[in-house]
Order: sequence, then structure tokens, then C-alpha cells
Amino acid sequence: MAEAVYILCALTSVACAVLLLRGYGRSRSRLLLWSGLCFMALAISNMVLFVDLVVVQGVDLSLLRSSLALLGIATLLYGLIWDAQ
Amino acid sequence: MLKPMINGALVMACLACALFFLRFWRASRDRLFAFFSLAFVVMGCNWLALTLLDVDDERRHYVYVIRLVSFLLILYAIWDKNRAGRGSSS
Repeated sequence: MAEAVYILCALTSVACAVLLLRGYGRSRSRLLLWSGLCFMALAISNMVLFVDLVVVQGVDLSLLRSSLALLGIATLLYGLIWDAQ
Repeated sequence: MLKPMINGALVMACLACALFFLRFWRASRDRLFAFFSLAFVVMGCNWLALTLLDVDDERRHYVYVIRLVSFLLILYAIWDKNRAGRGSSS
């Protein structure tokens, strides 16, 4: 059950990133670019989550996970403040 | 010390993003923005729960179900937007 939740988190975030960046490729809307970059960082964070909690046990990668997620959300926030149209 | 600080920043950043999307929704009445806003509120709740709740290994994945819901909301929002786009173009 736990593994399924972590895998689904990673897969859905990758899907979000791909769809948003594909949307940016089509429409060139900057908001989609920033959102896509945000979800890309969140997807990497979720992959690290799976590695941390399922694959490699005994090593704490929670700081790396949170930092990656913060980088992603901060990217989106930067885009929303400075570049959203 | 650093971990709760980063998690707190994540909660704040998620809520700030949610407020921006809420503003876009108010201005455009585009449902996509409303779903994005809701998804970021849910994501903020996930980070808040991870910070405040001291869950053990057995039950930790339940907190991540909240995160999964936020990603599913984003996917639904994109699907809903694409469906509306196809509907108006045909």
C-alpha cells in the first residue's frame, strides 16, 4: 500500500509536469512554463521520496526532498510574481 | 531545526500560490485556476501534516495520500481544460 502511494505520487507529478510543459510548447503561455518547472522539481522530489522510503532504508533524504520541493514551489512563486500574464 | 523551517516555508509558499491562482480565477472565471488553487491548498495541508504530525513508519503513507489528491486535482484540471478547449473548437 505504502509503495503504491509513493509510486502514484511520483507518476502523477511526472504526468502533471509533462502535460504542463507540453501545454507551454503549444500555447507559449509563461504561466504553464513556470507551473511545468515547479511540477518537474516536485516530480524529482517524489522520486527521491520513493528511493528514500522504499529502495534505500536507513538513509535520511528528507532534507533533500523538502529542499527540492521548495525549489519547485519557489520557482512557480517567482513566475507568478514577476512573469505571469 | 532546518527541516521544520523548510516545511513551514513550503506551507506558506503553497498558500501564496493558491492565493495567486484564486485571484486569476476571480479575474477570468476560468475553472482551471480554481482547481489549481484548491490543489495548492491541499498540497500545503500535506506539508503542514508532515510537519505537525509525528507519524510512524506504518502509517506515514496516509499523509502522502493528501499529496496524491493534489496531483490528481491538477491532472483533472488539465483534462477539464483540454475537454473544454476541444468542445469550443468543434
